[in-house]
Amino acid sequence: MSITDRWVEARPWLGTLARLGLAAVWMIAGGTKIGDLAASGRAVAAYKLMPVEVARVVGAALPFVELALGVLLLVGLATRLAAAISAALFIVYIVGIAAAWARGLNIDCGCFSRGGELAPGQHANYLPEILRDVGFLAVAGFLVSWPRTRLALDEWLFRGETA
Amino acid sequence: MSSRANKKQAAKVVREQIARERARARRVWVSIAAVAVLVIAGLVGWGVYSSQRSSSFTAPAHATANGDGLVVGAGPKTVELYLDFICPACRNFEESGGSSLNQMAAANKIKLVYHPVAFLDRASTTQYSTRSAAAAGCASDAGKLPEFVQAMYANQPPEGSAGLSNDQIIQLAHRAGITGSGFDTCVRDGKYRPWVQHVTDAAVSRGVTGTPTVFVEGKQVEARLPAITQALGGGPVG
Repeated sequence: MSITDRWVEARPWLGTLARLGLAAVWMIAGGTKIGDLAASGRAVAAYKLMPVEVARVVGAALPFVELALGVLLLVGLATRLAAAISAALFIVYIVGIAAAWARGLNIDCGCFSRGGELAPGQHANYLPEILRDVGFLAVAGFLVSWPRTRLALDEWLFRGETA
Repeated sequence: MSSRANKKQAAKVVREQIARERARARRVWVSIAAVAVLVIAGLVGWGVYSSQRSSSFTAPAHATANGDGLVVGAGPKTVELYLDFICPACRNFEESGGSSLNQMAAANKIKLVYHPVAFLDRASTTQYSTRSAAAAGCASDAGKLPEFVQAMYANQPPEGSAGLSNDQIIQLAHRAGITGSGFDTCVRDGKYRPWVQHVTDAAVSRGVTGTPTVFVEGKQVEARLPAITQALGGGPVG
């Protein structure tokens, strides 16, 4: 078996791993924020990238959207679309964190946590957060390129269709 | 090739064509459904949040004109303090600068405005931030806010704990000199919980997203006593 053959054979399973990993990321991210939507809005407001009222709406909607993305990826429905939206969100998060860094804001990114401004003496460490999101972006990119994965609803819905 | 084979071949092409069309239509519908799921999820989030926000509140005694703070003292210059009772940095601030500020307020050198916000409800298992801030409103009713704040920070529960129970808060308040059953029922009923939400929302609208945050004469300064006294014009402390 050539390396190319192995790759073609392993790819759908790698995709399953990527899909479930990304699903876990979204479900944890959404799940930690869903209990306090006001705090989620404050986390968005702390970036100072939009009017506070808009940040409140975004902060309230985002955890639910993240959870829904997680569910879509978990069951493997519209995988390419869900991965593309994931990638777009990661790019927005990376830009947001980079913007906060560049402007010298001292905030908790609110990625998997409560967010908001850090207390005096606490210093934000943006680089690991950006690198982490870049890693997630790469996983999402993999799924956009090769959305056919095993154990997915897509597989069942689009069976018989050539890739 | 025989004409029969040709026909078979043509039928196969047509079948495949139809199958592809169907699959494409399915794909479009699945995509539309997925987008609809995400949009609906977002709307549900907004709806849940809107329903959680209460629109009316009663402000405690000694509240500011717009109801988002509690006033102590009547000096010419205003010092505003945004605080959360479970925030460790707020306790540090209170321990290092709280008594000086309260003395300045008591001597009517400054007007001290406390904004007890509930940023850290998730740092306790019982929404201690909201409960304690609401209790601060009750303490303002009793006219003993500085004493209450001091007692609360001296007994600050750690982050991640259940916080102090309402009964423990009431006991602390009694020891700090608050008497009368009005305070007790005020705390137990959570009378000022909607007000705390108002204070918190107003803080965010002002751009405050962390605690402690200090404003002197409407301008944000570093949350340390020297920075505050400097902003006040370098006058003597206390």
